[in-house]
Amino acid sequence: MNRHKITMWIGNIFVVVLVLVMLTPVIYMILMSFRTGEEIAADPLGLPSSLYFGNYINTLENMDYVRAVINSIGITLSVTVIVALVGSMAAYPLARNTTGWGRAFIMLVALGLATPAFVTITPIYVIFRSIGLLDSYLGIILAFTALNLPLAVFFYVGFIGAVPRELEEAAKLDNCSDFQIFWHVIRPLLGPATATLSLFVMLMVWNDFTYPLLLLTDPDKFTVMIAVYRFVGNHNIEPDLLFPAAVLGSLPLLILFMIFQRRIVSGVTAGAVK
Amino acid sequence: MSPKMMRFLFMAPALVVLGVFFVYPILLTFYYSFTDFTGVGTPEFSGLKNYDRIVSRSRYPDALKITVLFTVIVVVLQITLGLFIATLLQRLPAVRNFARAALFTPAMMSFVIVGYVWQFIYSPYNGGLNALLTSAGLEGMTRGWLGDPNTALIAIAIAHVWMFTGYTTAIFLAGYANIPSDIEEAGRLDGASSWQRFRHLELPLLAPSITINVMLATIGTLKTFELPFIMTRGGPDGATRTLSLEIIENLFRSYKFGFASALAIVMLIIVVLVAFIQNKYLRGREDVT
Repeated sequence: MNRHKITMWIGNIFVVVLVLVMLTPVIYMILMSFRTGEEIAADPLGLPSSLYFGNYINTLENMDYVRAVINSIGITLSVTVIVALVGSMAAYPLARNTTGWGRAFIMLVALGLATPAFVTITPIYVIFRSIGLLDSYLGIILAFTALNLPLAVFFYVGFIGAVPRELEEAAKLDNCSDFQIFWHVIRPLLGPATATLSLFVMLMVWNDFTYPLLLLTDPDKFTVMIAVYRFVGNHNIEPDLLFPAAVLGSLPLLILFMIFQRRIVSGVTAGAVK
Repeated sequence: MSPKMMRFLFMAPALVVLGVFFVYPILLTFYYSFTDFTGVGTPEFSGLKNYDRIVSRSRYPDALKITVLFTVIVVVLQITLGLFIATLLQRLPAVRNFARAALFTPAMMSFVIVGYVWQFIYSPYNGGLNALLTSAGLEGMTRGWLGDPNTALIAIAIAHVWMFTGYTTAIFLAGYANIPSDIEEAGRLDGASSWQRFRHLELPLLAPSITINVMLATIGTLKTFELPFIMTRGGPDGATRTLSLEIIENLFRSYKFGFASALAIVMLIIVVLVAFIQNKYLRGREDVT
């Protein structure tokens, strides 16, 4: 019994060390963000000598961070709302009836999940250019919506499939229309699924840089990641610009992760396992 | 209104979005792939010229080789490491939830940031890795990790594995949670060692999560271009020029839309084929065990 306890303790300590090693790049990123370029050159692994915010002030002034955060949040929320609504509506009949066209549609959705973004990005660019959606919020929102919709449909089909039919049949006896049933019976039950899905969408939209890189050119419309990309890339990788920009770029999601970590980890894994 | 019509109305918005921004673009990409389209004017039909170029120039088969090598390195490392950590955490309930969440953190970060941070870690100028090696008395090993064709690809692969190992671990842990506890209990009562339990009980029962992890990692890695795009732009000397990166460079840099489309179609076929074969093989394996 005692030997078992000792083994457990050695194991626990090993895991804690392992976690620290894995998180070294994150810790490194945070520590370096408080040091000047000269300090890093003099001692690449040293700790910050004081809580120096000069890098952050400089970055905030030159990266237009607040504007980019507002853009990212606005785009993320719009995409989330549209994807949740359109996706759950499409999933409702699909979850109940998978014959003929429904089956074909599911196949299409599966193809959508496997297709790399760069297969569709060129034509989307050309289409947007010809209808004036290039460099517009609406354009980037539509592009992200299309990218995330297949996942949403899959997600909701699984979830609605588990909702007992008795609920709908009772509503039918009360002479509710299909749309009323969806809106008043099914939709309110989708809360947990929508919460998990929106975390997915948020993660994807916040972190992606391919779509905004090609579809947005006006710095006023830049998302956070494209702002970071342009800011760091334009300055030939100087650590006192790179690290504060990296911390600021990750911070909102890392805070979100700390609050919702259980939900995010289980949601992302459940989404994969289905 | 007929139920059929009603069903269609529910699906109509999704059909429009997917039709306009997914199906139509795929068809257009297919069409562009037979043209010399450069983004302006009307695409001029050029037959199989683009595809012919892909097969006849060594640059593209080479890129495919690098893609396959990169994918194999990432998948093997990520699955082995993820399975090892998950198995460890399964036996250590005290630290399980903390470690699962902490290891997941890198997956929350963007490729842009992971790419830049690791680029600096690998940098020959004040980079963290060289500094670490020097302080450990291993000056001989220091180098510009991303500038050396021998180490650049593996260096990027490690950054990629670092990002997603927590994700793989979490899926394996979900697999462990699905193993009925009485099976584990029976193994323990029979006096099976930790390794025997893993080898003969857990590993076979984890088959479904192995399928999911291998497929997700393979497809995700095949189509990734982000880290090479940020960290090396395909260099040094083409050592990290993957097929996906080649597509993006043809689009963003040289506006060869027609040629990039042909590459994208080739890539799409490869991804779908690999997913299909893996799914068939790994699912089949699940039934046997």
